[in-house]
Amino acid sequence: MGIDLSIASVSKKFGQFEALKGIDLDIEKGSFVCLLGPSGCGKTTLLRIIAGFEKASAGQLLLGGNDISRLPPHKRDFGMVFQSLALFPHMSVAENIAYGLKLRGLSKLKRDDRVAELLEVISLPAIADRPVSALSGGQRQRVAIARALAVQPRLFLLDEPLSALDAQLRDAMQIELRQLQQQFGVTTILVTHDQTEAMMLADKLVVMKEGEICQQGAPQDIYRQPANAFTAEFLGASNILDASASDQGQVQLSGVDTVFRTDAPAGTALKLSVRAESVVLDRAPHLSSGPLGEVEFIRNLGASTEILVRTGVSTVRVRLPSRDSILQDLRVGEQVALQFDAESCVVFRADAA
Amino acid sequence: MSRVGLMPEEGGGSYKLLVCLLAGIGIIIAAAPMAIIVIMSFSAAETSSFPPSEFSLRWYETALTLFSSDESSGSQAVGAALSSSLLVGLVVMVLSVAACIPLAYALVRGQRRLRQSMELLFTLPLVFPLVMLGIAFLLIAESLRWELGIWRLIIPHLALVMPFVLRNCMSAMQSISRETEEAAISLGASPLRAGLDIVVPLMKPGILAGLIFAFIISFNEFTITFFMYTIDQSTLPIWMYSRTVSSLDPSTLALSVFIILIDLVMIIAIDKIIAGRSSLF
Amino acid sequence: MSVSAHEGRPRVLPLPRRGIRVNALYRRSAPWLLCLPALLLITPFLAACLYMLRFSVSADTGAIDGFSLQAYVELAQPYFLRSVWLTLKLAATSTMIVLVLAIPLAIMIVTTRSASWRRVLTVVVLLPMILNLLIQSYGWILLLGPAGAINTALTQLGIIERPLILLFNEKGVLLGLVQTSLPLAVFPLMSAMRVVSQEYLEAASGLGASQWRSFADITLPLLKPGLISAGSIVFAFNASAFAVPLLLGGRRVRMLGLAIRDMISPLFNWSGAAAGGMVLILIITLVLVFSTWLVSRSSVRGVS
Repeated sequence: MGIDLSIASVSKKFGQFEALKGIDLDIEKGSFVCLLGPSGCGKTTLLRIIAGFEKASAGQLLLGGNDISRLPPHKRDFGMVFQSLALFPHMSVAENIAYGLKLRGLSKLKRDDRVAELLEVISLPAIADRPVSALSGGQRQRVAIARALAVQPRLFLLDEPLSALDAQLRDAMQIELRQLQQQFGVTTILVTHDQTEAMMLADKLVVMKEGEICQQGAPQDIYRQPANAFTAEFLGASNILDASASDQGQVQLSGVDTVFRTDAPAGTALKLSVRAESVVLDRAPHLSSGPLGEVEFIRNLGASTEILVRTGVSTVRVRLPSRDSILQDLRVGEQVALQFDAESCVVFRADAA
Repeated sequence: MSRVGLMPEEGGGSYKLLVCLLAGIGIIIAAAPMAIIVIMSFSAAETSSFPPSEFSLRWYETALTLFSSDESSGSQAVGAALSSSLLVGLVVMVLSVAACIPLAYALVRGQRRLRQSMELLFTLPLVFPLVMLGIAFLLIAESLRWELGIWRLIIPHLALVMPFVLRNCMSAMQSISRETEEAAISLGASPLRAGLDIVVPLMKPGILAGLIFAFIISFNEFTITFFMYTIDQSTLPIWMYSRTVSSLDPSTLALSVFIILIDLVMIIAIDKIIAGRSSLF
Repeated sequence: MSVSAHEGRPRVLPLPRRGIRVNALYRRSAPWLLCLPALLLITPFLAACLYMLRFSVSADTGAIDGFSLQAYVELAQPYFLRSVWLTLKLAATSTMIVLVLAIPLAIMIVTTRSASWRRVLTVVVLLPMILNLLIQSYGWILLLGPAGAINTALTQLGIIERPLILLFNEKGVLLGLVQTSLPLAVFPLMSAMRVVSQEYLEAASGLGASQWRSFADITLPLLKPGLISAGSIVFAFNASAFAVPLLLGGRRVRMLGLAIRDMISPLFNWSGAAAGGMVLILIITLVLVFSTWLVSRSSVRGVS
């Protein structure tokens, strides 16, 4: 697969504020790319620059090798789904979906065919003549997606379109969206601040922070090997622990050596990213080599139980299956030792960006 | 303890009593002149003594004959006055709204500085005394001696209605999200096309209210026209004034009821159109 | 052309191509193009204002010729100063009366539960502002005239023997001013009342405030910015009244508007009228600026 869209050192300033600081990103044909980051990281600005609604202060956008930086948005031939969906309230569902086709000069007959086809695709064949105001949240969502896809767009852009839905509906829509994208084979860029959504949808994940790309790659790779504390935290690692490098190239946590090795010089400040479900409790602390701690808080979440263990300066979050026998009679205040599953822990320098 | 509120539902004692009393006086002052015109217009008597001893529709008949008989005693006939009133109102309505739609768009979407200065400029006619508008337009019209025809009345009326029309268009514009427009553009509409296909239809309530406002203000305008009218170019209010300057003729009351009705219908229409969307001023 | 979603690779539907350069030009000039029609329509107004300003400093009373402040100096005559005084007095009195009536009226309209009644009240209050002033003056003449409804009623009840003179004097004009400017105060006050939430009043009452007490301590202070701006609008509107004194004062109540008009019509003193007009505009501007300052000062202090 070749490169579809190439973003070359794109930056954007709003007055003094630098919203984007030289973004470089290649997007492959037919892939699903998620721009992930907290609010204010520049992900929406980047999407709007791609769509043409903002003009980059510097840099280039190459679509299939052609520079489209100066092309006005209505000539870019992209389909976009907006955060507010932006369905035209004075048009019916069918009119909304047909609008882009009308602008492309398709005859009424062909438009009707296409609308019917798309309504079939979004499994809402019966709502063509309804006013937009009569639709439910999920229906609006689907219509907005259908409207954007109806024109066979070159690129499919989505600006947090699912954020307004409740959790259950959002889950269903994510699956549907992914299936639609694969069915149409259209290159897709989605902006979101929800890491689960991004993990679920993306072929390629782009984590952004303060106008820069922190890390990009396949979601599983980023999940397993975050490049820095920010990415780790944003992808849901529950423990980012302060650590340091020992003389023997060992990672020390609260002064105790762990099983992890590091090539950083002794005394370097490190971060250890550990998922809550990858920590094992040892209730016979004197026999264990791991760092010691005191149980601070226990809460049963149903299937799993969460335990907060205070060790030195940091608090470690541990999640165990509720039926784990080790939980029996565990009390707040009890001394335990912590063991980390080496496979699922990541160590990086505290200053890594 | 009684419940409190701006208008307590129970109790409230002297407070509630006084509020109702004063509000009642306000309503009477507001409505009394119109009420008595309506009552007296049905009087059968020649004089305007109240209450009328008998009711009839004779003054309505007389008012109707005014339209058919052509009073050519030097002053303009009522039919001509009415038609020029309507003409002025319609032209003012169409022009002001046509100009305010793009303006409202530019101001709502544009930079704040542009918006502030333009808003100031276009509210100026509102704080400007009507007499002074009349005199200023009269001064310039008399000095330049241009043959303006009906535009002699239309141009001042335009200045007068612009603030109202602009305000209505702007509040309608403000409720249209930029995303809706961008959605059209992302589907391939040019900015102009998106404006015509998306923005204008969504502005419809504001545009309708603006149209009615413009017409109603122009149709009822008295002060500026009082300065600007000529023998050939006059409006219905001026015709009524010149007719009743010495004495009040009951057939004029019938005509007044007709005008009150028109105004009432238009105000109710505006109220319906922009109900809850924006304030009237 | 078949456009199927199931064909695998999407076929891009061609967009009609248009010139890109034209578009860039359009973007830059668009805001001004959009403002242009409205600016054209408002230009005569601006021209007329400037023309009047220029006329007021003309040395000739009938044409623009040279510069002189003579027209302003000549305004310092008893008849004009009396007009200024009368205008200020009537505008101030009517403003007070309007505010006293408008607060209860606004309270009544906002608290009316039924939407249709609220609409009726709104229309009744709004109509006097819209309706042709001439017609309203007919109404007042029918009500207040020597043979009008009020005099007839009072005579028949035996309260008075000779009809009261209610029309063509200051009382009649005052009533007319109050009526026509009432909506100007009621509508801003209605929107100002939105800040007076039920909870504030309940909290005050919970702390032991009586209805009157919470009106004085909560409602009025919260309404203050609204009251100031409504009051200044009413004052400005009534200070520049023309039709009401013309029709209800019978030219005996010479407010500024009438005085200025008299300079033109019988006297042909154009520059004098222009200068008088500038004085009127100055009075109104001062009132509006002062009230804006008052409002900003009270909102800086914070009303909470």
